[in-house]
Amino acid sequence: MTTADGLAAPSGARTGSVPAGDTSHLTEGRRARRRTDTLRGWLYCAPFLIAFGLFLIWPTIYGFWMSFTGTSLAGTNTQFVGLDNWVEALGDANVWTSLGNTVWFTVLSTVPLVVVALVLAVLVNTGLPGQWLWRLSFFLPFLLASTVVSQFWVWMYNPQLGLVNTFLGWFGITGPTWLQDPSTAMVAVVITTVWWTVGFNFLLYLAALQNIPESLYEAASLDGAGAWRKFRSITLPQLAPTTVLVLVLQILASLKVFDQIFQMTGGGPGGSTRPVLLYIYEVGFTGYRLGYASAISYIFFFLIIIISIVYMVIASRRSVKA
Amino acid sequence: MTHLSAGPSAGPPRSGGIDRRSLLRGAGGLGALGALGALAGCGAAARPADDIAFWHLLSGPDGVTMSELLDGYMATDGAATVTPTVLAWGSPYYTKLAMASAGGRAPDVAVMHAARIPGYAPGGLLDEWDLDLLGEFGVRQEDFPELIWDKMMVEGKLLDIALDSHPFVMYYNTEIAEAAGQLGTDGLLLPVSSPEEYREQLLALGAQAPSGFGLSWGYLGDGSNQWRMFCTYYTQLGGTIELPEGGTMQYQEELAIQAIEYILTLIDGEVGNSSHDGGTAISEFATGGSGAFYGGVWEIGSYRNEGVPFDMQVIPGVLGRPAAYADSHSFVLPHQSSPNEERRRNVHAMVAYILKNSIQWANAGHIPAYSPVVQDPAYADLVPQSHYADASDYLVYDPPAWFTGSGSDFHTYFGNDMQNVWARRAEPLEGWNAFVARINDLLAKPSPM
Amino acid sequence: MTAATPTLSRPGPAASAGATSLGRRRKKIPPARIIAFVILVVLAFAWLVPVLWATLTSLKTEAEAAAMPVSIFPKSGFTLGSYIEVLSAGRVPRWAWNSLFTSAMVTLITVIISSLAGYALSRMRFAGRKLIISMILASIMIPAQILIVPLFQLMLTLNLVDTYWGIILPQVVAAPMVFILMKFFDQIPYELEEAALMDGASRFRILLSIILPLSRPILGAVSIFVFIGAWNNFLWPFIVVNDANLMTLPTGLQTVISAYGIQYAQNMAQAVLAALPLIVVFLFFQRQIIKGISTTGIAGT
Repeated sequence: MTTADGLAAPSGARTGSVPAGDTSHLTEGRRARRRTDTLRGWLYCAPFLIAFGLFLIWPTIYGFWMSFTGTSLAGTNTQFVGLDNWVEALGDANVWTSLGNTVWFTVLSTVPLVVVALVLAVLVNTGLPGQWLWRLSFFLPFLLASTVVSQFWVWMYNPQLGLVNTFLGWFGITGPTWLQDPSTAMVAVVITTVWWTVGFNFLLYLAALQNIPESLYEAASLDGAGAWRKFRSITLPQLAPTTVLVLVLQILASLKVFDQIFQMTGGGPGGSTRPVLLYIYEVGFTGYRLGYASAISYIFFFLIIIISIVYMVIASRRSVKA
Repeated sequence: MTHLSAGPSAGPPRSGGIDRRSLLRGAGGLGALGALGALAGCGAAARPADDIAFWHLLSGPDGVTMSELLDGYMATDGAATVTPTVLAWGSPYYTKLAMASAGGRAPDVAVMHAARIPGYAPGGLLDEWDLDLLGEFGVRQEDFPELIWDKMMVEGKLLDIALDSHPFVMYYNTEIAEAAGQLGTDGLLLPVSSPEEYREQLLALGAQAPSGFGLSWGYLGDGSNQWRMFCTYYTQLGGTIELPEGGTMQYQEELAIQAIEYILTLIDGEVGNSSHDGGTAISEFATGGSGAFYGGVWEIGSYRNEGVPFDMQVIPGVLGRPAAYADSHSFVLPHQSSPNEERRRNVHAMVAYILKNSIQWANAGHIPAYSPVVQDPAYADLVPQSHYADASDYLVYDPPAWFTGSGSDFHTYFGNDMQNVWARRAEPLEGWNAFVARINDLLAKPSPM
Repeated sequence: MTAATPTLSRPGPAASAGATSLGRRRKKIPPARIIAFVILVVLAFAWLVPVLWATLTSLKTEAEAAAMPVSIFPKSGFTLGSYIEVLSAGRVPRWAWNSLFTSAMVTLITVIISSLAGYALSRMRFAGRKLIISMILASIMIPAQILIVPLFQLMLTLNLVDTYWGIILPQVVAAPMVFILMKFFDQIPYELEEAALMDGASRFRILLSIILPLSRPILGAVSIFVFIGAWNNFLWPFIVVNDANLMTLPTGLQTVISAYGIQYAQNMAQAVLAALPLIVVFLFFQRQIIKGISTTGIAGT
């Protein structure tokens, strides 16, 4: 929040490009402008603010209220039920397993999404021929809709007809049933997710790599540093801010996983891949219990807020130290 | 400088004018685009009365038959155009149907499983059928078996029109049965009356079968199929289940355990494989690998395509009176906030046509609910359909509650808690009690409908 | 195939471009570089495999696609049958139009309302400005996904379930985009506007004729980001639309199945068709898209 004001400040200062001596004029003009600007400012912001209020703020408040009611999909049972939904949610094993699955997915996917992105970016950044092709290959999947990605990969993982098990078969390995097996389903979904979204982190890293001054490497070369040495003592430290950013974005994105799991496994087998958002969908829309679904949504929301606050505390400590 | 600082204070009227005009122009542009959107949206909102949006969940052989029936209807004089939309069976379908009905712009007609309707109707998500209108098209109350008519009336309203009943039955490989000496002179499987006799028969079939198994039944990851099996034998024993809202599940524990233990003898690794999933069981029977198969009548089409020689019968009542666990595909009118009378009329005509021509539907294995079709001599000629037509005397549906019916949570929970019992990783009572506890939790909550 | 051919037939010029950059460094090719190159080739190929495999499947007959053992290239040759079937019988063209229309509307409205708000917040000093900025920033923390339940309820109240507006409106609230535009406008020197103000031009005219033309790159980036997001959005359109004629490509593909059972080749043909528009756009605007994603991606999320 402070950043925004800080950034806006220079333009604010520039508005006062009036001779310093002419103070009476300035204040009068300013006051007048302030008045008209207030009206106009709100007018310009109005279209956004109306949408913002109606489709973001209101649902946030209304959802919180719904979590204290028995509202059903058919619009019945709208009466206040107090903390019933919350108590039920905290004691619902499915809430905890689906939260656990969400966190597990986040852990499993974040590490490869950061590491693979870094490796790809470093490899491509060495300036090897075929730049256009590399970018296309690694970034292309990011442009695909989740449904398309899921259909591609459900087909890849098909136990009998899929390419994955056909490929394993060439080496005499009988592949698992992937999405139908609780022990492999989550891994299969994670592999798909890495394939799909790593291109975004890859681009962020590539942009960061290109911003590292060549002079740093030249100086290191003069000192006789090898490639690995240069990577460790120049590239990695220079990429640290990007890594923090990528990590945070990735964790927040992974926590919100829904699409590919819903589409590939439907949360199965036996709920072993069901993330919390899918459980909210099942409770609210499949089970008609919108009020209860709202309570679970808010438990999840608080989890995200806690993670964000932890990040902000760490980040602010770090910036204080720096 | 003066200009600059005076500008804003002098400016507003003038610049405000331009502002407003430009803003209006911008808004006009947006409005035009909006109109375009509304126009494009019209396709759904203001469809002509002779264009029926029809949702169903029938895919594969059933879907093909339904498409043929619809083509047949559309070829009749004065017929409306029917645009079918097929959604994936089970909760994806029912979720979308409920959301569409809640939104008030639901399809004109949809297929639902009859057992799901008692839980669905109280929310006002379904509209009523007009019996007089149906009568105009030749469909009357007396055309339905009483048991099925009772299912069609919910809280005194005619909310669904049953198309069929589709029981859980027994398929057997006629070649294997013949080789095992289990076929009677009428070409049908020899009748059995006791569990011991039945076991002998299945083992005899297994001895002649390439897989060595007399019976194929798949259950892994398929709660519905586990429930169908359990319900069949539990009902044979005379067991009943009631699910009173706000109360607890009413059942006979002894009978439940007895049924479970009997089922375990059928998947003991001798009579049948102990860990099949649905697909494997089907392909085992379809490729002629096993002597018999338990499943829904809807597999007829795929077994025919595979060319396996088979016949069918009601699952023998070796524990008591036979029972045929079933559900019915039925037509419903999802709630619309402003239904078009003319289109509703066309929907009634369409449904009447399909019922009267449901001999075609019978082809796919289902037993038509519309009695005139079943009583027609043409139906008696249908083999093996006519060999299990007596199932309609033994029909048993899911106990009514807001969470039961085909593809419902009830089945899913049964599967979650009982799978380990079938796989012999848990004791029958342990699994059963876990299931009962879960259902009691649901009963304690008010129905969300 | 369409997606893959240009990729495979183009390494020529790209490779020569790379060679000149190698030449500039005036070095012999060390073995490490060759190894890196080989690794890249393998990885890039591996990354394209799912797309290629889907494309190959879509060009087979249904029987060939479901045949065991799996063949990479069909014995009976390639066929466009699945594409013809999907385009003539299915709703794919309809869904593509829905996707295009709703995504374009989302993009247009988002850019308009975000620019207006961003401009006011950047250039005007007014009571409540700081409050608005804090609200916008704080709202970035709210994950839109948790709002599906109350938002659906709101759509029921507004009678917008199963309408285009139901899909579009909730997607136009893009707080990060307002913030990005505001920051960009902040960097435009104020002197340019002074002259115009002196001539009595209105704020709105200044925005239209000075600020927006100068902001073309960021507007492009925001548009690209918003459009791709709307085009590929699954969860919200999936919740708010049940009518198969109003579905977007991602939701339609997921929800509606065939009455004829699972048909692998046709499924893949549908998926490839759904993927195609953005791939084609990407091939044309690769540079802008990559730049746009990097800028808005960093600042925006």
